[in-house]
Amino acid sequence: MTQRLWAALAEVQDPEMPVNLVDLGVVYGIDEHDGVVEVDLTFTAMGCPASEFILEDVRERLLREDGVREVRVNVVWDPPWTSARLTQAGRDALESWGLAV
Amino acid sequence: MPTPAEFDQMIKSGEVIESPREMTPEYLRELKHTLIVSGDTELISAPAYYLAAKRAPSINAFMTGIAIIQDELAHAHIAYHILEELGEDQEKLIFSRDPKSFRYPYAFDVPLDSWTELVVANGMYDQAGFCLLGDIHDKCSYGPWKRGLNKVMAEENFHLRNGRTWMKRISAAGGSAKEELQRAVDWMFPLSVEWFGLPDNLKMHSTQLEYRLKGLTNDQLRQWWLSTVVPYCEQIGINVPAHKETRDGKDVWELDYPFPCEFDAQAKRWDFKQPISWDDVLVRWRDRGPRNAEMVAMFQEEFHKFRKTHHKNGS
Repeated sequence: MTQRLWAALAEVQDPEMPVNLVDLGVVYGIDEHDGVVEVDLTFTAMGCPASEFILEDVRERLLREDGVREVRVNVVWDPPWTSARLTQAGRDALESWGLAV
Repeated sequence: MPTPAEFDQMIKSGEVIESPREMTPEYLRELKHTLIVSGDTELISAPAYYLAAKRAPSINAFMTGIAIIQDELAHAHIAYHILEELGEDQEKLIFSRDPKSFRYPYAFDVPLDSWTELVVANGMYDQAGFCLLGDIHDKCSYGPWKRGLNKVMAEENFHLRNGRTWMKRISAAGGSAKEELQRAVDWMFPLSVEWFGLPDNLKMHSTQLEYRLKGLTNDQLRQWWLSTVVPYCEQIGINVPAHKETRDGKDVWELDYPFPCEFDAQAKRWDFKQPISWDDVLVRWRDRGPRNAEMVAMFQEEFHKFRKTHHKNGS
């Protein structure tokens, strides 16, 4: 099931950049027990102006998955996000958009 | 430099213009004018939004507001930077012009006094900006500007998101919060409709369209805006004075009030019983609104103060 949840979060776009959260590398872990999903998530910057939107989108998308009745998101800062966490697909997306990564 | 006939041919065949060497003086003049409107609009939105963002209801909301302002300043910078490459003096444009000669939509001259009004601005004014810039991004014959808008479009989307998310949230809260939202929409909706300028039947000739600086007419842009804003407001339970009709199998958005009509900027109130002429509107636009001088002073004053002290110290 967690694989399905990872796939679901790969459909959630960052509100500011044309890249999804999984390729951006901000999803650190997904755990599921009896329909309760726990997500470890970070932001690319502590002052991320889109953080509230991202949390909302993550919750909303996971709740649409069969068997999910509750979503808990833990915002974590350790280890800090760096551009090394981008997947190759994420890197390509940001580069084609004109962002040096 | 191409002859006017050669240049016309370049434009007609869809060529992208890359430098001042490839353009006629008439095209250069029109391009500069279009860029000044765009740069001024983005620039003035910063103080206009800032005065309202200070009233954000949470730290995260404040950060979002500030990030939007930073985006707008960056967009202004893109336009002024291109103007500089076309031979204008950026510093003079921003810091030495009289407030009344700035060329941004009248809507920004009417103060945004609350977070609610700010998010309606994000939902409506930024949607207007999105339509105008989206069209330029799609069709503009001047390459450097067209390419510069790639990122602008993604960022404007973020502003819209802020506007729409909050409008929905406030509407769902109901009670006095929803009433405040409805009041904001009541005065801001018609100002946004006006944003797109004279209707096509009064504007006989558009050099901007001829030069492919933009691709859509004023009315087409206005229809695009209405087709996104009206359904969204209806969906979240907010009334807007417009509705959809089907004519010759096509959807057309009709306004439920005389356009244009009388607006009291101090009271932020439209008088739908008082139709006026476009000449009256042009006079109001030329005279500018309540906050024009204050907002321009917000970025001009410190610049000149700093200049003076800097000079006095002999450095």
